Amino acid sequence: MATLTWEQVTVATGHAEGAEEAVRQAYREAGLAEPERVLVLPSPLAGAVVAAWLTGGETVRAGLERAGLLRDGLGRGLGGLLTDGLGFDGLLTDGRRLGSLDPGRSVRDAVRTGPWERARAAAYARLGHAGWAQLWAETGGRLWPQAERLVSDLRRAIADRGAALDTALGTDTDLAAERFGESLRNVTLDAVLGQHDAPWLSAFDGLGGVDGLGGLKRVAERAGWWWPYERLAIITGRPIELHLDDLGRPHRADGPALSYADGFALHAWHGMPVPPEFGATMTVLTPERIRSEANTELRRAMLEHFGLDRYLAESGAQPVHSDETGVLWRIELPDDEPLAMVEVVNSTPEPDGTSRTYFLRVPPWVRRAREGVAWTFGLTEDDYRPQRET
Amino acid sequence: MYRQGDILIVPMPEAAVPGGLRPQPRDARGRLVLAHGEATGHCHAIPGPGTLSRGFLHLPEGGRLVHEEHDAISLPKGWYRVVRQREYVPGSHRVVAD
Repeated sequence: MATLTWEQVTVATGHAEGAEEAVRQAYREAGLAEPERVLVLPSPLAGAVVAAWLTGGETVRAGLERAGLLRDGLGRGLGGLLTDGLGFDGLLTDGRRLGSLDPGRSVRDAVRTGPWERARAAAYARLGHAGWAQLWAETGGRLWPQAERLVSDLRRAIADRGAALDTALGTDTDLAAERFGESLRNVTLDAVLGQHDAPWLSAFDGLGGVDGLGGLKRVAERAGWWWPYERLAIITGRPIELHLDDLGRPHRADGPALSYADGFALHAWHGMPVPPEFGATMTVLTPERIRSEANTELRRAMLEHFGLDRYLAESGAQPVHSDETGVLWRIELPDDEPLAMVEVVNSTPEPDGTSRTYFLRVPPWVRRAREGVAWTFGLTEDDYRPQRET
Repeated sequence: MYRQGDILIVPMPEAAVPGGLRPQPRDARGRLVLAHGEATGHCHAIPGPGTLSRGFLHLPEGGRLVHEEHDAISLPKGWYRVVRQREYVPGSHRVVAD
């Protein structure tokens, strides 16, 4: 296996060998007996559903079976893996047989949190407050924003699947414990994050004398989210595809930005979660399509992609005010604050003698061009009086 | 006050300058860099004597503000606040980069 940096581990895709043995090592290092069974599933959604089924109450089990999630929704992914000599042949095609398996208590604290806290205490004792802060800033602190985005997007998508079940099955009760959205979201909080634990694991790399993390590091290099229980470990695979923009945010126009072997997938536009069809619509945008988009977040992404100045030109906008600082434009947007922009001209001409015009969006309460330009420098209209501009 | 593209240089009384400022280092060409243009790599800079610390510019002898795409501006001696132009984004705002 090629050696991956922790940056690469966070966003690694594809199958990797040795995840099960790495999980067993993590149990041993935590002073626990190895799990009797290890279940390998294709996605964090599959992992969350099975974990919810195994640890949830009767209502959760009955609902997941009624929804066919164990049988059909995940069957495609599970089927292939379960007949793969893991000893679970047919187990998950029937919830009752899965029920004969008692996973035992979650051992997440013992396997993950304890070793991490001991490692951090050891590093802290050695480096001191400032040293630890600096180490974190140079390692995990840099990686965390990207990992955190992926983790929270996945959590939300998994909870959304549960909430969709609630709607479909009419289980949207007042009791949180009986809602799938809640159940699945809570189960994601019990997961060890595998590759997405790379940020905090990276902080301990190269620190001699900090041990007990070998298994966790090996799992992170090989697997996605995983759930450790006393008698059973659920391991999920890494995504098969992850597409990022140049700022490292999930982004793709012609398909899901993040997808797993069982079909679980997330669509994203420069980091913003979007519906599956969103990317395709971005290639054929018109001012009418933008104006008719009811979701303001999506509309803002559309406006940005289309170009605010082009939108002004093609939507037939009229200037509302102009003075020696520039021109103020304004467009009303349904169910959203108006789009207000100042058009300003660069004072220094380009080499060919023309002056470059550019647009800046300003707050919707702005009514005059000078007021808008002054705002872009944090000043009031009266205070903005440049003696010289170039 | 003086404007060069997306930055505004606003004179301020010395008494209003916060204490404890640490001067920023000059760039490889020995200039005080007030702002980098992210898109072009060009920058707003002061080649002569002075100090810059966290947006506060001190020119004890006056100076010249230069940029590859804009005409230079002569600045009288004194203290200045350096303001980067920003753009409104619903819910917050972001800095403009030219």
